[in-house]
Parts: sequence; C-alpha cells; structure tokens
Amino acid sequence: MAVPLPLPPPGPQFVLRGTQSAVNALHFGGGAQAQGRQLLFSGSQSGLVHIWSLQTRRTVATLDGHGGQSVTWLQMLPQSHQLLSQGRDLRLCLWDLAEGRNAIVDSVCLESVAFCRSSVLAEGQARWLLALPGKGSDEVQILEMPSKTSVCTLKPEADAKPGMPMCLGLWQAESSPRPLLLAGYEDGSVALWDVWERKVCSRVSCHEEPVMGLDFDSQKARGVSGSAGKALAVWSLNGQQALQVCSTHQLTNPGISDITVRPDRKILATAGWDHRIRVFHWRTMKPLAVLAFHSASVHCVAFATNGLLAAGSKDQRISIWSLYQRT
Amino acid sequence: MAVFDTPQEAFGILRPVCVQLTKTQTVENVEHLQAQLQAVSDTALQELQQYILFPLRFTLKTPGPKRERLVQSVVECLTFVLSSTCVKEQELLQELFSELSTCLYSPNSQKPAAVSEELKLAVIQGLNTLMHSAYGDIILAFYKPSILPRLGFAVSLLLGLAEQEKSKQIKIAALKCLQVLLFQCDCQDHPRSLDELEQQHLGDLFASFLPGISTALTRVITGDFKQGHSIVVCSLKIFHKTVGFVMADEQLRRLSKAQAEPVVEHRIAELMVHREGDWVKNTSDKLVILIKKIIECVSVHPHWKVRLELVDLVEALLLKCSQSLVDSAGPLLKALVGLINDESSEVQAQCNNVLRQFADQKVVVGNRAFTDILSESLHSLTTSLPRLMNSQDDQGKFSTLSLLLGYLKLLGPKINFVLNSVAHLQRLSKALIQVLELDVADVKIVEERSWNSDDLSASPKTPTTWQGNQVQRRYFRFFTDERVFLLLRQVCRLLGYYGNLYLLVDHFMELYHESVVYRKQATMILNELVTGAAGLEVEDLQEKHTKTSPEELREIVTSLLELYTSQENWYLVTCIETEEGEELMMKQSDLQAITSRVHTCQIISFPAFSKPSPTICSMNSNIWQIYIQLEGINQFAYALGKDFHLLLMSALYPVLEKAGDQTLLISQVATCTMVDICVACNYDSLQDLINENSDYLVNGISLNLRHLSLHPHTAKVLEVMLRNSDATLLPLVADVVQDVLATLDQFYDKRTASFVSILHALLVALAQWFPETSYIGQPQDQSLKEEGSYLHQTLKNNTTAEDIEQFVLDYLKEKDVADGNVLDFDSDEEKLSVPPTLEENDTLPDVEPPLPVHIQIAKDVMERCIHLLSDKNLKIRLKEKLQHFSYHILICRRFAKQAPHQQGLKIHSTDSTQQRGGEVAGARFFGNASETFCPKENAFLSIPIRKEK
Repeated sequence: MAVPLPLPPPGPQFVLRGTQSAVNALHFGGGAQAQGRQLLFSGSQSGLVHIWSLQTRRTVATLDGHGGQSVTWLQMLPQSHQLLSQGRDLRLCLWDLAEGRNAIVDSVCLESVAFCRSSVLAEGQARWLLALPGKGSDEVQILEMPSKTSVCTLKPEADAKPGMPMCLGLWQAESSPRPLLLAGYEDGSVALWDVWERKVCSRVSCHEEPVMGLDFDSQKARGVSGSAGKALAVWSLNGQQALQVCSTHQLTNPGISDITVRPDRKILATAGWDHRIRVFHWRTMKPLAVLAFHSASVHCVAFATNGLLAAGSKDQRISIWSLYQRT
Repeated sequence: MAVFDTPQEAFGILRPVCVQLTKTQTVENVEHLQAQLQAVSDTALQELQQYILFPLRFTLKTPGPKRERLVQSVVECLTFVLSSTCVKEQELLQELFSELSTCLYSPNSQKPAAVSEELKLAVIQGLNTLMHSAYGDIILAFYKPSILPRLGFAVSLLLGLAEQEKSKQIKIAALKCLQVLLFQCDCQDHPRSLDELEQQHLGDLFASFLPGISTALTRVITGDFKQGHSIVVCSLKIFHKTVGFVMADEQLRRLSKAQAEPVVEHRIAELMVHREGDWVKNTSDKLVILIKKIIECVSVHPHWKVRLELVDLVEALLLKCSQSLVDSAGPLLKALVGLINDESSEVQAQCNNVLRQFADQKVVVGNRAFTDILSESLHSLTTSLPRLMNSQDDQGKFSTLSLLLGYLKLLGPKINFVLNSVAHLQRLSKALIQVLELDVADVKIVEERSWNSDDLSASPKTPTTWQGNQVQRRYFRFFTDERVFLLLRQVCRLLGYYGNLYLLVDHFMELYHESVVYRKQATMILNELVTGAAGLEVEDLQEKHTKTSPEELREIVTSLLELYTSQENWYLVTCIETEEGEELMMKQSDLQAITSRVHTCQIISFPAFSKPSPTICSMNSNIWQIYIQLEGINQFAYALGKDFHLLLMSALYPVLEKAGDQTLLISQVATCTMVDICVACNYDSLQDLINENSDYLVNGISLNLRHLSLHPHTAKVLEVMLRNSDATLLPLVADVVQDVLATLDQFYDKRTASFVSILHALLVALAQWFPETSYIGQPQDQSLKEEGSYLHQTLKNNTTAEDIEQFVLDYLKEKDVADGNVLDFDSDEEKLSVPPTLEENDTLPDVEPPLPVHIQIAKDVMERCIHLLSDKNLKIRLKEKLQHFSYHILICRRFAKQAPHQQGLKIHSTDSTQQRGGEVAGARFFGNASETFCPKENAFLSIPIRKEK
C-alpha cells in the first residue's frame, strides 16, 4: 500500500487583503443572529477602520476618523450598532453604524500617548464603563459612558512603580455587581483593581517583560497573559480576590502582541511577533497548533461568536481561520 | 317548397296516395307517397303523422314474405316522416321500435336475415331517426325495465352488424345508432341533461348490456388495423361512454345507499342487474382485461385519431370511474403517460391538456390510491429500466423514458412520497446512473490539446453562452440518440423541481463518493437537479407547493461546489506529459510527486511504487469528470443568477485554473463556464469578471502557492489574472508577489520556468499599468510593439557561424556584468558623485520615503533574475533574460524620468549598483548584442532540450 501523503498543513480559510497598511486591531461584530451578515472590523496603521463582510469577504465601508494615526483598539458595544475605536491621535471615537450610517456620534480625548488598549464593561444598554489610560503615565482612568463622567482614576501606590499600564480588562463577577479591572503593567505584573474602592486587590508579577495582552475567563476565574518575553502566564483568582500564578508556558520565540480566549472557553490564541499564531487548549494549556501564514509579526487576534479566528498582521493581511469548530 | 301548410290541404293531397298504398303495396306507391310528402310542411305533417304512418306500418306488418325492395322503401319513407316529425306517444314509439328492429330478422330464424346492405342501412338509419324524433319525456318513459328484451334485441343486432358487416358505412351507422340507443348521442338534439334519478335508472338498465357491449366493442377495436380508423374511434367512444356511464362512481355511490327496487314482472327481473358491490367488483375485474387489451392494441395504432380517442377514453374513465375501475388505473395512466411524447402533435397536446386537467383537479395528488398505483408503476419501471435500456432500440428507449418522465410529471409534488421510500429511491437512482453511463473509449479527447491557453482573454471575443451553444457531444454506452439524453435531463430536472432537494442531493452525493464508476453520472444528475430546483427549463404540470428558497439552493450549491473543487476531485490526471517545469521536477524524482499522483488518480489503484501510468481510458474518464463538474458550475451559475456572486470566491479560481488546462475539451468548457458566469453575474466581459474579483483570485493563488507541489497550475492563474487586471490590483497582489518570490527562493531548482513566466507577466503588467506620464498610453504601447517586432525581425534573420561566435562572446561578457563584476565600468564616478543626501520632507523625520510599490516589486524581481542568469538550465536563462530586461528598463527608466530627485534609487548604494548593473546589461542586450543574440535563441533552446531527453 502506498503511504498516503501527509496532508499539507491547513491554510487559512481565506485572507482579507486591501488594508494597505499594517493591521493593528480586529473585532468581530454583527452577532450570531445575523449569521450571514457577520462583520469584521479591522483597524489599520494608516488610521482607517475597515468593515468587512465575511459573506462577500470584501470591505463594506471604511471609517476614517483618526487623522491618519494608527487605530489600536476596536470594540462593538453589545446589542447596539455602536463601535468604539481608539487611535493614536489621542481620540476614542464612538461610531454609529446602524442602518448603513457611519458617523462619529461621540468622542473622548485620551490624555496620554500610551500603547494601552482600552476596555469596556457594558452593564446595560444605557450605561457602560470605559477603562482607558489616564493622564499620568501609570494611571488608568474609568469613565462612565455615555455621559463621560469620570468615575475614578486608578493610580498605583507610590512605592509600586509598575510602569505604564499595557493592557486592560474590565469585568464583573457574576455574584457581585462590583466592577473589577485587570491591568497588565510595563514591569510584567498583573494587578486586579476594585474600581469602586479604587484600590489594588491583588498584584502578581508573572512576566519579566512588559505584559502585552491578557484575557480573563470570569467563569473559571482564570486568566492568561502574554508579554514581550518568551512565556505565557496563567493565573487564577481565588475567593479572597487574590491573584496567583498557576503555570507559565514557554514559547519558542519571544513576543506576544495579543491573546484571546475563544467565547466558548475551549481554546485560546496568541498573536506572535514571530509571525505565528499559536493555539492552546484553554483548560490544559496544551499547545494545539502553530499557524504559520503571515510574513510579518501578528498584531492582533480575535474570535467570532461562531468560533472563527481572525488574525491581523503587519504584513497588511488579515487571515481568517476555522479551527476546532463545534459540530 | 312547402306548398301545403294546413293539415286540411295536406290531407287532401295525401289521402288518395295513402289509400292507394294500403290497397296495393308496391314500391311505386311508396315512392309516390314520399314524393307527395316532400310538399307538405312539417307542422301539417306532424298533424297527419299517425295517418301517414298507418299505411307504411301496415305494409311492414302484413304477414308473409315481402320483397326487400319494398321494405327498404317503406323504411326510408318512414324515416323521412320521422325525421320531420316528433313521436309524441309512448306506444307508437315502442311499436315502431320493434317493427323496425324486426325488419332485419326473418320471422322464424334467430339469425339476422340475409338481406341486402341497403336495407340494413335503411333500417339502422330508421332506428336512429326514430330515437331522435321521440320527445324527451317519451323517450325516458321508453327506457323502462319492460323494454329490456326488445332493447337488448336491438343492441345485439347492432353489435352484430358493427362486428360482422363488411361495409364500413353500415358498421359506422350501426355504431352511431348504438350510441343513440345507449343515450350517449353527442348531437345537439338532446338539450336536456338527465337528472340523478334518471341517470341511475338508465344506468341500471344498461348495466345488463355492459358485458355484451364491452366485449363486442373490444373485438371491434382490437380488430384489424385495416378496417379504418373511424370505426375504431367510434367504438372507443361508445366503449368509454357506456362504461363511464354504467360504472360511474357517482351513480354507484348513490346506489350503495338503500334503494327501493321497482317491482317488475318476474321474467324481466331476471334480466335486470343490480349494481351492488359484488357486481361492481366482478365487472371491473373483467373490464380490466378488456381495457388492457384495448390499450395494448390502440396505443400503437398507426392512425393518430385513434390514439387521440384513447386519450379521451383514459380521461373519461379516470375522471368518472376512478374508484370503480381502480384496478384499471395503472394501465390507463400508463397509456396516457406513454402518449405524452406521441409523434402527433394533436395527441401530445391533448395528452398534456388531460394531464394538466388531472393535475388541476388533483386527480392523482388527491387520490391516495392513484399515488400508490403510480409509485408502484414507477418502481417496476425503474426496476426494468436498465434491462430495457440494454435491449431496446433508441426508439424504444425513448418511449420508455417518456413513460418515466410522464409518471414523474403526474406524481408532481407527490414524488416525495416515492422518494421517501429507500427502496424506490435506490431503484430510481441506480437506474438513472446506469443509463447515463458514458462511453470513455474515445482517444481523441485525450489527444486534443489547447496550445494557446495564454489567450484566455482573447479567445471568446464574442460571448456565446453555454445554453445557446451546442454542448460537446458525449457518447453514452446505452444510447446514441440525443433525444434520449434530453429526456433523461428532463427527468432529473423534474426530480429536482418537485422532489426534496436535500434528500436527493444527499443521496447522489453519496453515490458520488461510493464509486468512481458512478461519479460522472452522479455529477450529471446533481447538476440537473439543481437546475430543476431553480425551476429553469422544467416542463411542469403542477405548481410545486414548497419552492426551494434561494438561500437553501445557495447552500446546496455551495456544498456541491466544495465537493467538485476539492483536491481529490478537481485535480485528476488528464495527461501523461507534464509541463517543462514539472518534467524537471519529475526528474528530481521526489517520491512525493509520484505518490501524490497516485493519490489523485482515482481510477486505477496501482500498486504502491510501480510506475504511475494511467490508461487512456482512465484519463478520458477523468477529463469527462472534470468536464461535467465544470459544466455543473456553469449550471449552478445559471440556476443562481445574481446569487452566484457569493460563490465566486470559491468557484472562480478553480474554473480559471481549468481554463488554462492543456486538454482542449477542459479548457474549452472552462472558458465557456467563465463566459456564462459573466452572464449570470452581470459582467460585461471576462476581463471585468477577473478584474473585479481579483481579490478572490488572489486569495486562492496565495493559499495555493503555499503548497506548490500540489497546485502546479497556480502560476498560470496568476499570469492570467495579471494579464486581465489593471493597476487597482497592485495593492492586492503585492503580497502575493512577495510570496511568489519567496517561493522562488525556495524552489530555485524546480519550477523556475513557470516562475519566470509569472515574473514576465508581472513586469509586462507593471509596464502597462504605470505608463510614462509624459507620454501617456500609446507611445509606450508602441514602443513595446516596436521592440516586439524588432525581435521578430531579428529572429527571421539568417545566422552565420560568426554570429554565433559573437553571441557567445557577448553573452559571456554580459554574464560577467550581471554577476556584479562591474569594476571597469564607468559607474564608479557616478557612485561617488551622488552622496546619500536626504531632502527635507514633511514626512516624519524617522521614516524613509518608501519606493512606490511597483518600483519596489520591479526591483525585487530584478534581484531574483540576476540569480537566474546563472541558472544551469540554459533555456530558463535565455528565456528569462530576453523577456525581462526590456520591461525592467522600461519601468525603471520611466521612474527615473518621473522623479529624478527621488531618493529611492539612491538610498542603498549596493542596490543601485545592482540595478544599474542590470540596466546596463539590459541596455547592452538591446543595444549591440541583440541582433546577433536573438537569432540564436532558438538554436540554443533546441539543443538542451534534446540533451535532456
């Protein structure tokens, strides 16, 4: 019998081209109910936000609101047609996309040129919290939206010196309405803030290098963070709101720019500076796949509700992958 | 003419004549009477009817032998009187009836008297006229049980005449008369329709005659074809009218309810028939036999009017007696369905009418029993279909398939009822698959090559669509007639139209996977199913109740498309020779390549590492497989129309790839498919299609470039795309070009030839997309052309030994230069004189102004080409150089002209050296060496090839 030829490593399902500049931020929108009309938002180095239709694999619209400065973060507000985009022009814009509109309805000025991506906690339609880098280089500001009233500024204690916040994650435990903020800092530590009490509940130092991305699974009370270094860290939160490192995972090449757990909490994906996307089993942290397609460092990864994975890279391409789909 | 209007006057005239006739009964006297009657008006005649009839009847009644001539003239005279008067009295009618019918009998024998044909005719007409002249009420009263013996006598007399007489005229007259007697006359003189009770009454009466009438008529119908069609038509009519009347569901249903039997005398009561359940059952059992006989005989009757009457028969019986004659429904439907494709258009039309009527009235759909019968017939037909297809001639196959089609049409939406049964579906699908088997022994298909695959864009200048085009003739194993194929297509479409598409597609996809033997047929069927489901070119009889929604259809098509274009179904081995590049690769003999070929060649499972040599047959089969799949894509586009837009992302790349296939058949059909996709998706031209969907193509190309060994044709698609696009493509294609170059870096030894042609296409495209701004458009085109023609000219020149020598010398020199040994060139001073100064721009200070993308690409390509200049394979070397440098220079020169102060060219001094080196080398090629160099190209090309082989 002939030995069957090993199948070639699977490629991406398809590739979106045409941003003409490095892709820095990705976000799936449209929701599961509009299966056919699922959208993908991509923010590029050149300051444009492209809206892609996953059905036609083409851009539906392009939003230009950051004056040519790189777009670093995109987030759709749940149950609405509003999109938040953060740019290096120190503006955070709120777009109204309902019924084909694409206009800026509101914007917030950022007070410092930071690398940090913002974070949103939507409690309901009417009121939501926004965490964004604050005025001081180590501060995080919390705003209540859409009124833009400042809730508080989270400033680490004078002796901590964690450096700049690099990534933020606002969340809320199911048991209590208390908003909590996870922040990864320049010195490689992750801190849990209680927003109402404006104090650090716990801090854990899990990386040598600046934390580049984190994601948190509030059900399992477990989070993962990636840094500029060679390791991924998994940490968990115990009943006393204390963070502790569970395990670390060494990578072949250093540098993670983004990390995301799939909405069904089965797998997680990392965007590597080594041009690769890595996929891990979220419960066991077993490495599952290394997806090699991009020819420059991968800047961001995002999961859709239906499990599709998108990765944006410096090589100006967005690759869409279909991985371990639930059948 | 009517001279005598009043009865008195008329009486005056007629009296002597009548008296005379009563006294002496001669032919002359009768004729005299008739002559006088001519002059009497109808009203007067009516008054005097009894009076005039008396001598005539007297003549008939006088005992003793009579001369035939006399009887005949008397009967004729009687007929005349009756035709212009009405019979208003019950007794008169009865008496006249028996007097007339006895005329043909000799009083003492049971057999019909041997009388002259004229007399017979006269009597028959007399009877006919008599029945017509009776008043409506009178005639109804006439049909009472007591008349039964006399009526029976007349009926059997007439049947005997119809059956045994020689004269066609008599036969027809007898049949017509019978029709009148049985109250089924279709003339206009019976305005009053019968009410229910009357109908029932008559039905009871006629039921007694039914066995006799039906058997006798069957004998007439199934008699010699030569007896003339009108007799058969007439008999058929009486048959179905009588049967339809006596066995009418409507009457029988009412009968089953309790009914008071009329009291009749004993003798008569014996003759009477009671149409109860048992009787109906028995009668219908016997009728089935007769009906089958009739159908068997009549459906092949040479005269179309007879077949037309058969359609009426089927219609009448199925409509009126669907319950009582349920056993006959099978043969009847079969007859009807079989006549759908009759050679006579009248029969066809009538058949379709009837079928449509059935559909409208839901005769089949609303009747469970009929559906059962039909599905049973369908089952038995599909069971025998393969055998029939093997044994019958084309005409026979045609009619068998017509039958199949007819069944499906009749079943309509009820097809699902049949399809849901696994056994039925299996039978049907296997039958279709077997019948559609292709003959793949034709060598020509494999032989024919498309050499000019480059000219994809040029070939279909006039977009001819598939549907208009004659499809490539395919040869089937079991039939040659094109009509048979069309019928089969229609069958599949109908299935798709009415049937549960998911079920069907699923089933045939299974068959597709099951065996290679089924694959082509299954593909064909799947294609037609989709077309049918879209409701295109389907001759439908009935509205389908659930229409396949466009979304569903698109979903199905998507999965089919996925199946067709999957690696193992799309890349089949269709030829032995490989391309030049691949040949090299084969030489490298990496095991992978061979095993991958085994892997993709499904037809023959050769032992593991034996030489993979697909037979002609298997290649032919593969070609057809691809052909049919392409055709399928074509049909999908047609079926989906604009919706196909969404599938372009997965369909366009594979089709375009096949458009460049070496096999003529495949490339033709792929090109056709492209044109049809253009039509379906509303693109003006192929170029538009490619250009506007280049993003999808680029996607396919870039993904396939990653596994080049599996997708050797990717290069070709890229080439075609570059050729057909404009500058808007550049941002999309930029990264692919980088991929290509990266792949080239990996495979320098293997596939260089195909890469070189991509690079060439790329440079040509770049040169076209970015024309010199100073001379827009034309000049540059012209210069290209000039160069081309220049090359051609030089190619034509004769070559001498000196030329060759000169060439080799020049060539070596060029090679040196290209390899970077440019020491003694005058570029040194230039290098020194241009220090890398930075101009102040408004860009951010730490960002270098990047080169325009196209220049960057040209530069990258150039860098690669320099390496190729020293390739082992001379062929590549030469091809590469000649093709590239002209465009390089064109592009770079233009760039330099446009932006002389751009820093791009001067940033990296090493780069610029290389570039200039290339430029110089190129310039020298065309400057001094080309004249001698070019003619040798061919000479040199041929040598290494021969060596390699």
